[in-house]
Amino acid sequence: MIRVEREDLGALALGCALLGSGGGGATTQLELLAAGGAWPVDVHAVDAVDPATPCLAVALAGSTMVMTERLPGTDRLSAAVAAAERWLGCEVPAVCTLEIGGLNGLTALVAAGGRAVVDADCMGRALPGIDQVSLLVDGLPGLVVATTTGDGVGVVDRPRPADAEAVVRAALRLSGGTGAVVVAGFTVGDLAEHAVVGTTSRALSLGRGFLAARESAIGELAAAVGGRLLAQGRIQAVLTDPVDPQVQAFDLVDPGGAVHRLVTRTETLALMTDGVLVSAAPTVLAVLDVRTRAVLQISDLSPAHHIAVVELAAPTWWTARPDRLRRVTPAAYGVADLEPDLAR
Amino acid sequence: MTGLDLTALLAEPANGALRHVAGPDEGDWPTALLALTEELLETAGAGRLAVVATPLPREPWRVDALLRRVHERGYSALAVPGAERLDAGARRLAARIGLAVLAVERPVELAETSWRLAVARDALVLDLVRRLTVAFRHPARDLADLLSHLAAAAGAGVALLDATGVVEEHGGELAPWLGGHADLVRWDRWTDIVASPEMSVATVRVDSPSRPGLRLAFFAPGIRDAQVDALAVAAEIAMPAVAARILIDEVNTVTDASVSSDLLHDFLVSGDAHHEDVDRRMTERGWRTTGYHLGFRVIGRTRVDTLALLRAVSGALGPLGIESHAAAHGQGVTAWLRWVRIPARRDLERHVHELRAVHETLRRSFNVASGVGSLQAERAGLAATIGEAGDAARIAAQRSATNWFVRVDGLGLEQLLLARTENDTFLPAAESLLAPLRGDDDVLLTTLTSYLDHESGIAATADALGVHRNTVTGRIQRIQETLGVDMHDPSVRLALHLACRAVLR
Repeated sequence: MIRVEREDLGALALGCALLGSGGGGATTQLELLAAGGAWPVDVHAVDAVDPATPCLAVALAGSTMVMTERLPGTDRLSAAVAAAERWLGCEVPAVCTLEIGGLNGLTALVAAGGRAVVDADCMGRALPGIDQVSLLVDGLPGLVVATTTGDGVGVVDRPRPADAEAVVRAALRLSGGTGAVVVAGFTVGDLAEHAVVGTTSRALSLGRGFLAARESAIGELAAAVGGRLLAQGRIQAVLTDPVDPQVQAFDLVDPGGAVHRLVTRTETLALMTDGVLVSAAPTVLAVLDVRTRAVLQISDLSPAHHIAVVELAAPTWWTARPDRLRRVTPAAYGVADLEPDLAR
Repeated sequence: MTGLDLTALLAEPANGALRHVAGPDEGDWPTALLALTEELLETAGAGRLAVVATPLPREPWRVDALLRRVHERGYSALAVPGAERLDAGARRLAARIGLAVLAVERPVELAETSWRLAVARDALVLDLVRRLTVAFRHPARDLADLLSHLAAAAGAGVALLDATGVVEEHGGELAPWLGGHADLVRWDRWTDIVASPEMSVATVRVDSPSRPGLRLAFFAPGIRDAQVDALAVAAEIAMPAVAARILIDEVNTVTDASVSSDLLHDFLVSGDAHHEDVDRRMTERGWRTTGYHLGFRVIGRTRVDTLALLRAVSGALGPLGIESHAAAHGQGVTAWLRWVRIPARRDLERHVHELRAVHETLRRSFNVASGVGSLQAERAGLAATIGEAGDAARIAAQRSATNWFVRVDGLGLEQLLLARTENDTFLPAAESLLAPLRGDDDVLLTTLTSYLDHESGIAATADALGVHRNTVTGRIQRIQETLGVDMHDPSVRLALHLACRAVLR
């Protein structure tokens, strides 16, 4: 068990932002919401909780851009949680976050409401799709997905990953672009095998390491969070893919002359240097502002911005099996020729 | 040099629309290798040029990866369709890894040309010869037409040179380069090759008895030895055709000139009487007698080459944009302008002015005098205005003051005025008035006359006298001071003008 104090909130949020891999949304609003809650918060390790304990995975979903305009609150999360519990017919005493990367890293803390917070999540980083929720990817039986609609909650019982994605996407459109998603119908014991465990503590230690080394050279900062500095330079051009406009390639001018391409979609997907693929999803590629050391979202990037790309290890849950991996490599988003070499 | 290089490839006409896009902009490669896709390229590049037929992918990272793979297989250059869309990052990468990237629209054509350049040099010559023989099959109108056919067939520039420079050129510009490098061409040689980075020229002497000292040149910028050698062969093969054409053109010109000269003569002697045979021949030549005509006659003040003069007059009248005809006639050239409807007075004056300009242009090459008739209508008028122009030209031959140019319209009044001044009272008065200006060579008197003739125009006077404008200004000031008259007074100017004419008569 780790006890998170209120003063740890900043470090935790920073760690979540790093795991956001350039996406997942800015954590500011959730930090403010969480700051108003009860402190300290105990985050229980998965193996410290009775494996038979029913558990919920919660998240805010939809456009992170819209969330900066329409501030997210707990009422939507509560409505979705209530619907899931009504469907299951019991109170669920444990909660974890659906996605540790980005703003959702703090959602479990905000939505706990007296439930035990479990140190695990269903993505291990930020990912754009509900079909990329680990529980759904593994095809765990008995799952239920609840998602807010225009003025209510939609519940999908025992969905296939693609069904869950399609229904949630439709519901989010009705609810104005953002909403809450709750996955239920599993136990804490299921998390040990079908989710990424220890991610809240990973985010906290990343955040602490980052804060401690914030003023040092960018390479040392990367090393302090257990990562690797892959590239830094000025954004020379942003090329948008003509077929999928969400796919962008940032042309970085390296002071040493190397040609870097940071390929992104909702998150960073890959980094290529001098025509050689250096790193690709599901490896986390966090983007930092070289001057302010801020952890950047892709929407923050623009020409002439001086940035650094820091590689953090991919959650091993994804890389352990080929059927999991193929859901999170660049090819899963239709981006060709950037498949990571896992023999590395 | 062995194999291929970029400059030579860019200079080839059939290079598949090759353009340099990124990376080193020069280099030579042993050969080129064509493959449908980049994956199918041979693994050992050995410094060759890789020609890939499949366009580059649209994603910039895939382009980067492709450039990298081609480079790592050992190729020095890559020609591929769509390379012109390379973004700044890929261009930096190409420069960084030293891979020349070329855009090509027709990769197969490029591969074929590369093969010919690098391996099969005889194929280059044979191909050129074959194309030239095709060019000979098309009848040419004249020499210029033949040269442009040759240029199109050879895909190179073709020029005729003489000791002064370029006489004719087609398919390229040799004159600017030749201006600075004329001494490189060895005139005593039968064939000669000059190869320099900016221009390569293969020349051969033209065996023409009527126009000696000509050379036929095939030229192209940036080509290499194999290509120039092929052009030299092309020049040798084309030369007899060019020599024959020069002869044919000359015979044609002489025949044509003599036919039109005869016809003009027949027309003028036939007078008012309609002569069926003359009318038919005139219609055949496109000489119509209806409408309005203005005669123009140019005669030599000394002996001139009538044929050359006819060429010059025809050439100068063409750009006026009016229907004009010219024919050699006696010791000169007779020409006329024709309008269907009567031209406005202002337009007519403009055209007479243009004829004066034509005369002045001719004066640069020939010692001639010109006369212009008055505007006349129909068949009888044509004969009349030609007659007037002839009279005016004869008078002009004696008139240095009008720069050997006289127009009949102005003649009547002036003659009348001059006739009035020939009495005993006017002439002595005029002579005493102008006496201070007389000297050994009458330079001041001539200047004053010319100045008044040119409506007090300093520039025109200077042109007519062949001196600097400041010289004219100085002389006019001296004249004013010497005579003590006010040249701005119209009546003073008229008196002076008449006096000058009477004294100089």
